[in-house]
Amino acid sequence: MSNGTMTDDLHASATATGGGALPRVSLGIVVGLIGLGAGAVVPTYFASDFMLRLGSEGLLLGLLALSVAFLMNQAGLVALGAASIYGGAGYLFAIGMSDWGLTPTAALCVAFLILLAYSAMLGALIVRTNPLAFMMLTLAAGEMISHAVLLEGLRDYTGGADGLVVRTTGTVLGIDAVRFADPAQFWSLAWVVTVLVGLAFWAIARSRLGAVLRAIRENEERMRFSGFNTFLPRLIGYVVVNIAAAIAGFLHVLNAGFVSPESLGLFVSTNTLVAALIGGISGSLGPILGGLIFSFAQDEFGARGAHAASDRCCDRRVHCRVPAWCRRRAVGPVEAARLAAGGILTCSRSKSCR
Amino acid sequence: MPSRNAPGQETAAMIALLIANSLALASLLIMLSSGLALIYGLRDVINFGHGAIYMLGAYLGYTIALVGGFWLALLLVPILLAIVGIAFEYLALRPLQRRSHIEVALVTLGLGIILGQIIIYFYGGEARSVDAPKILSGSVTILHLSYPVYRLFLIVTGLGSCALLALWLRWTASGLYVRAVSQDPSVARMMGINADRLSLLVTSLSTAFAGIAGVLAGPYLSVDPGMDVVMIVNCLIIVVIGGTGSIGGAIIAALLFGFVQVAGSVFLPNLAALVPYILLMVVLLIAPGGIGRGRVLS
Repeated sequence: MSNGTMTDDLHASATATGGGALPRVSLGIVVGLIGLGAGAVVPTYFASDFMLRLGSEGLLLGLLALSVAFLMNQAGLVALGAASIYGGAGYLFAIGMSDWGLTPTAALCVAFLILLAYSAMLGALIVRTNPLAFMMLTLAAGEMISHAVLLEGLRDYTGGADGLVVRTTGTVLGIDAVRFADPAQFWSLAWVVTVLVGLAFWAIARSRLGAVLRAIRENEERMRFSGFNTFLPRLIGYVVVNIAAAIAGFLHVLNAGFVSPESLGLFVSTNTLVAALIGGISGSLGPILGGLIFSFAQDEFGARGAHAASDRCCDRRVHCRVPAWCRRRAVGPVEAARLAAGGILTCSRSKSCR
Repeated sequence: MPSRNAPGQETAAMIALLIANSLALASLLIMLSSGLALIYGLRDVINFGHGAIYMLGAYLGYTIALVGGFWLALLLVPILLAIVGIAFEYLALRPLQRRSHIEVALVTLGLGIILGQIIIYFYGGEARSVDAPKILSGSVTILHLSYPVYRLFLIVTGLGSCALLALWLRWTASGLYVRAVSQDPSVARMMGINADRLSLLVTSLSTAFAGIAGVLAGPYLSVDPGMDVVMIVNCLIIVVIGGTGSIGGAIIAALLFGFVQVAGSVFLPNLAALVPYILLMVVLLIAPGGIGRGRVLS
């Protein structure tokens, strides 16, 4: 992004009214709502429980991938600690109910607030660093959390290496807890939440915050000289993506009824990254698709007796092909489709592809 | 009745033991993190696959030690891993020379995961143990303190290789070129320094060091599938504490890390696993650029 484009982007985001595109926006909203409803309902009629479970896992991974991709694309930062928030949400929710005697809704709210405070504190410490150091620090912070749950002193709370069984009764935020365990109903819920989070990220990317984040990514020094606070937007961005990771974690623990140290592990973080790279990082749809593709691909390989190989094949395909995709200005199937459409939807070249 | 200075002697012995154990752990970490810092200094790349290369060294060391003994492993593994380093340079680093740091870091992370999985595929998931050679087994008494010979060997090897590295960087022409390229690549190229050849040398040296560390870790720690993640995370903490790209900082940070880790396991056994991370946070709060004032802050 050139400096001129950057300024235009900021100016446009600050002065946009959107009044002239009303019919197109209305049509988009209608199509979006139809898509949202169809996606939530149609698969529950045609797909088996197993496929729905697999799809739900894919959606949750997509939600995590979305958080990683947003930070990569908007701020040029790679977070390798997504699993610590994802798994941490499950642990805090379980501890809140079993040890603190809270109702499911209260446990969810308390866990969310703790994660918010943790994200803000960690973010305040690490968003000032350069992207490479940020990547290393998020990895270290994630490993710290995964070590913490295994501490002997916390075993009564965390269950050590065995993890925790989470028995949710009653309602959670007004939703009957039983619905979370039903594959069809959980698919619908996960679909709606994922789409809404995707839309939220899409809106943030087009807001002033998104424009400022991209401008900081391009030239932080220039932004500082221009009088912009470069710390706060990145901190907000980091906290926002952790909120998405926490939502994924809450949904996972409510669905699975179990949380273990594996959910905090580095493999969850790397799988998230791979899913984001499979789908592409420059939009909201790509990472979600990436999560679904990853989930089904992993099962496909697993069914053929090469479960572990599937992850690695995805890793190899993605990590070794990213540079080539970037050269062709495409990072994933969504971008490839856009390019195939003959430039009707232009693929904005992300910073990570330069 | 105990003598009056017995408690003092006990304390001194405990401190000496603490320092010796810290040095033993730090020796391994110095070999790994200095290699990591070397590549970063020259290529501006954090090699996330370094832990997997160390693990490869450990498993190759285990295999060769079974056939030809520990000394043969210590001789062959660095050579084999230097070749792996050359392949890594040609297949991963050079094609990605013009790509962003993050992209290259992701590629090295992916390659590290692949390498780790290949090792697990061939060796399985269980931990292996390597016996120390006869000459290095047993203990010696130093200052009324019984201490394993192998750990002393580890300290001597680690600190010796660290000294050799420092001497090479300080007193040889190629070391001078490495420092020049890491400070200003474009000016160094204009002065006629072949940065690609230097990069090849540094990458192979870095992976050879990782190989030595892997072989030495066999009898000291254990050879297991999780060793790559543990070590790469530790090394990343050290590199950040030391200041990315600063070899001196990495060495000091490794010594500090070793001491904190060992002291933590003695005085705070319940929190030992978290002590390095607490150290990292404290250092970042006090000196965000790290001890060596590296390029951590943007």
